Amino acid sequence: MAEQQDKYILKVEGLSVEYGPVKAVKNVSFDVLQGEIFGLLGPNGAGKTSTLSSIEGLVKFKTGSIIVDGQDVRQKPLHAKAAMGVQLQSTSFQPELNVVEILRLFGSIYGVQMDKGKIQEILKEIGLEDASAKKFSQLSGGQQQRVSLIIATIHNPRLVLLDEPTTGLDPQARRQLWERIEGIRERGHAVLLTTHSMEEAEAVCDRIAIVDHGQVIAIDTPQNMIDKYRNDPEVIAVSRRGKITLEDVFIALTGRAVRA
Amino acid sequence: METTIPKSSTALAALLRADFTTLFRNRRSVVLALLVPNIILISWKGLVKHAGGPFVLATGVVIGLMAIGLMGYTISITRDRDKGIFQRLRVAPLPTWTIMLSRIIVQLFMIMLLTLVVFVVGYQFDGILLSTGGYILTFFVAFIGGAVYLCLGQLIAGLVKNPETVNATTRLVYFLFMMTGMFGDIAQFSDMGKLGPYLTSMAHWSPYGCVKIMLQASMEPAKWGHDNNVALMASVAYAIVFAAVGIKNFKWESR
Repeated sequence: MAEQQDKYILKVEGLSVEYGPVKAVKNVSFDVLQGEIFGLLGPNGAGKTSTLSSIEGLVKFKTGSIIVDGQDVRQKPLHAKAAMGVQLQSTSFQPELNVVEILRLFGSIYGVQMDKGKIQEILKEIGLEDASAKKFSQLSGGQQQRVSLIIATIHNPRLVLLDEPTTGLDPQARRQLWERIEGIRERGHAVLLTTHSMEEAEAVCDRIAIVDHGQVIAIDTPQNMIDKYRNDPEVIAVSRRGKITLEDVFIALTGRAVRA
Repeated sequence: METTIPKSSTALAALLRADFTTLFRNRRSVVLALLVPNIILISWKGLVKHAGGPFVLATGVVIGLMAIGLMGYTISITRDRDKGIFQRLRVAPLPTWTIMLSRIIVQLFMIMLLTLVVFVVGYQFDGILLSTGGYILTFFVAFIGGAVYLCLGQLIAGLVKNPETVNATTRLVYFLFMMTGMFGDIAQFSDMGKLGPYLTSMAHWSPYGCVKIMLQASMEPAKWGHDNNVALMASVAYAIVFAAVGIKNFKWESR
């Protein structure tokens, strides 16, 4: 088990991303292990999405290296993309296509045979048997998230990237999504997610990295991070109810100022 | 665990299936795109004996090509870019060229469909009948002409990010081309003064003019001459320049 835990699925080293004169990500390094849910936390504009976009191959990074399941994303982009499943911040499929057509499209793109039986099995798994003929634009937010997540995992990838997966969901849908994310981990996949929700990070993440101004300022398990900063005067100063939470640590580390 | 990378042809086939389904679901806008050139054909019936059948058919086809290339293609790719649909496809293991090629094939199908409908309506309502060679050559030229406007659409979508601005720009260019066409046509029949020859020449060699004179000649292959060869080369050059700038500057997301 210890040997398996040491195997990283994603390794990011010295990553820097620049948009013209703006340095969005500065020398970021972290890795995500097999069977681990890793959270990337940070205020708006901290560099979370730029980091994720670099891994996904959407952004050309200036320096550093990214290895996904042994594949360098620069040298073998298609191999790296095939090893990962992605749920983007805003769900985005052709609004004219229905659920079955979307499943067929992405099944073919990821090289997964999508016969009627397989499609029915997926629809049952995500509780959309009655909505199979509905167009994506006609689904509720929670249903769209479920379709988006199943598309991200349709090819059984080693690494699943989720960009703020629970934004805009009601508590029931959020809990259900957490269970699905934990289910991904139980199947041995690694998950990298970004979130603004400290509750989410504490509830589902095995380890978290706090990112600010394009740099990683802390990496640890949520509980270790709380324990480590419990007696920090800044953390105590921002604590609201006497009990130190991950949110207190986060605000103490990233500052109280509201970001754009 | 082995990672599977599907063949480009498999990915392209899947994209084509999805894009043709999207086209079918948007069939109202397809009908509207086909309507404009056919309204021209029907309303210009009296002009056939003065200007000739090929002139009227060519005008109908070129206006349809502009509507598909400039309005249809540009607006659809701008909408999908704004919604993040391209980004979702780009994170999948498929070459990015397959995404655009699929869209272009769908539009070329629309161009062929439009040309066919214009031929049928032209025959039914205006009694315009071409030779077999004329029909074949016109399909080929419509393909080239369609490529000019698709590439121009690509250029606009490449240079302008905001969907509203793209929409306004395509409408403006569409209007300018219509005016250029009208000016060129008027200039054939009236005295435009000292500037006349220069303006006529500009209208003649504009993307609108080149495509139109090619189309007109293609319907009567015997009349195809040096001027049409130059227009064909100019059209190919327009397409290459528009495509090169449009692809080089194309941004996959609108933010």
